[in-house]
Amino acid sequence: MTKYIINRFLQLVLVFFVFLVSSYLLFNAMPGDAFTSLLLNPQLPPDAYEKTIALYGLDRPLSERVIKYVQNFFKGDFGFSYRYYPKSPIELIAERLPRTLMLFALVNIISFYTGFLVGKILAWRRGSKSETWLTLASVLSYTVFYPWFALLMLWFFGYKMGWFPIGKFLYPEKWYDAPFDSDVVFMMMIKFTVVVSIIQFIAYLFTRNIESLSLRRNARLLSLVLIFIGSYFYWNTGDALIKKPYAADISFHMILPTIVVTIVAFAGTALLTRTTMMEVLKEDYIQTARAKGLSQKRIRDRHAARTALLPVVTSFIFTIVTIIDGSVLTEQIFSWPGMGQLLLQAVLNEDIPVAMAAFSFVGIFALVAHFVADISYAYLDPRIRIKSQG
Amino acid sequence: MNDSINEKEIQKKVRREAFKRNWLLFRQSTLGMIGLGIVFFFFILAILQPILFLTGAWNEAVYHPVVGYEEIKVNLLVVECPDEYPTEKYESSNACPGDGEITQRQIYNPNINPEVGDIHVALLQPSPPSARHLLGTDSLGRDIFSQIMEGSQVAFLLGLLSAIIGVSISTILGTIAAFYGGRVDAYLMRQSDLVLMLPSLPLLFIISAFAELKIWHLAIVLGVIGGLGGSVITIKSQALQVKVKPFVDSARITGGSNMTILFSHILPNVAPLALLFMVFSVTGAIASESILSFLGLLNIEMSWGIMIYLSQTDGYIFSGMAYWWLILPAGLAVTFLAGGFYLVGRGLDDVFNPRLRKR
Repeated sequence: MTKYIINRFLQLVLVFFVFLVSSYLLFNAMPGDAFTSLLLNPQLPPDAYEKTIALYGLDRPLSERVIKYVQNFFKGDFGFSYRYYPKSPIELIAERLPRTLMLFALVNIISFYTGFLVGKILAWRRGSKSETWLTLASVLSYTVFYPWFALLMLWFFGYKMGWFPIGKFLYPEKWYDAPFDSDVVFMMMIKFTVVVSIIQFIAYLFTRNIESLSLRRNARLLSLVLIFIGSYFYWNTGDALIKKPYAADISFHMILPTIVVTIVAFAGTALLTRTTMMEVLKEDYIQTARAKGLSQKRIRDRHAARTALLPVVTSFIFTIVTIIDGSVLTEQIFSWPGMGQLLLQAVLNEDIPVAMAAFSFVGIFALVAHFVADISYAYLDPRIRIKSQG
Repeated sequence: MNDSINEKEIQKKVRREAFKRNWLLFRQSTLGMIGLGIVFFFFILAILQPILFLTGAWNEAVYHPVVGYEEIKVNLLVVECPDEYPTEKYESSNACPGDGEITQRQIYNPNINPEVGDIHVALLQPSPPSARHLLGTDSLGRDIFSQIMEGSQVAFLLGLLSAIIGVSISTILGTIAAFYGGRVDAYLMRQSDLVLMLPSLPLLFIISAFAELKIWHLAIVLGVIGGLGGSVITIKSQALQVKVKPFVDSARITGGSNMTILFSHILPNVAPLALLFMVFSVTGAIASESILSFLGLLNIEMSWGIMIYLSQTDGYIFSGMAYWWLILPAGLAVTFLAGGFYLVGRGLDDVFNPRLRKR
């Protein structure tokens, strides 16, 4: 087993190396470069372009640059952004990443929860009229042409109704005399959200083994009420009280993107849950549970849904891996200044250090997730285990 | 000689019966039938347009989706807007000029100088739906319905082509990885890891910077990226399950070569899953094409994505439902055709996966 893991890890490093080199070559092969605009400016001296190119070392041969880049990468030096010059890619990512993670983690948690609930009910009511219509609706919201849908929602809620702001992260006019950075407030919001979700999760874990359904529901309601009271006190005391209006501004801007992406994202989970749950419902132990005379709700929620949860959780983990990739379009439409926008702008402006850093960040995320998935499958699947020993 | 003909006939009969049985199973799935209906509807749209042009029912100068043009004229009354509101006629400045009216200022032509009260003949584009143009025209006077038909041709061509390319690649690679195992398997799996690592939308951006992408190129690019990625892993795991079945062993014992086992024993058993993948990847290809043309990255003359791109760059998407025929048909067409293929896939899933059947 250890041999298998070591072997797999070496392959991982090799793949990452190939990934790094090939994406550098890919960026380099794009026509033009980040400084082409200097050639077009008549006010600059004619040799400004050559000087800048030489300053960044872009006049060296390609092979030398690739080797240098990979060497520096493993030393932890990612260079400087061409566009935001004194900043390094790491600084930029550290600024942008929390915004993306916050928005999309929230979206994913909500959409997986509601998707699981809906899918469970869909599979349970299989064959009925309501099931057909609901499934059709979820399929359409799953395959909806996303940028079109997002723009229509933006038009309806942001422009026609005027309920929500049209894109952006905050209202700049509200922050003119703000005593602190928006990122400070945002980090505070993230901490608050994380703590609340952990408490909620613990409450869920403690209540899940309560046998009586009504008692369990009441316990969960009680924990929710307690969380609400706790957060009310938190936001009305001390430091948080000053930051409250600013935090409210940011969360106000988060509502519309959250709703729109959730509508699109929940359908995928609902359809996946529907399929796996239908498979589970044919198992013998469900028949046994029915024969024992258990209540319908108990069979659905405790016997069938728990087994059907496994593939859903796997897909949840893989969705988290693709958050940054998936955020590109959303952030572009809602002008949310996150990681996806940074990645896209870097690619379009050929800001190679930033694009490389963002690409490798996404890549490491995906590689490690696949590595962990492979290792855990190897533990669970005897075929792989035996092969690696023999 | 006679025996082999008989054998072939029997095989044919068996296949026909299997097809009949599967069709019966598919028909039981309401969702699958709805999906098939949607796909069929768009297919009719796609083949109807060339027929209309060939039979002369539609004049190409008027109805061509890209270069067609028709002047639609409308008589407008020239009025003058008051300085202060509300007046008897107009409640607020938004209400002036009203329907069928135009102010002197809005006539940009310096050669004509109409008085208040004159009738001004203006070109009406985009024009609303009428009997002649079922879904109206766009801002260049082109027929929207014809554009929708052209778009469905593009969607079918691109979706099916890229799905076939992608599924052939992933099926062949997946079965090879499962069959040979070892180093071949490791190489192919790391290769699909590599493809999965690249963020898809930025990657397509980079590729579109290299070359002006036409439909064919895009179909190949989407097919290769889809075929090398995650579907290899899924097909491989299916092929691994087939590989340990007793009939593979018996084929080996009776002296079947690797190629025979691979192509006549393992591949046919992986085929249903591959077909399923193909139908689902059509959904993905249609969505990718629309997103790329929506962002203006493709060198295609007309498609649903381009229709939305045009309505967005012309500023109609935020004008609300006043110009609904520019916004809704194209977006709904993408959504419904992708959804139709998805539903067909779900129906096929019920057929091929016995655990999903009702009984």
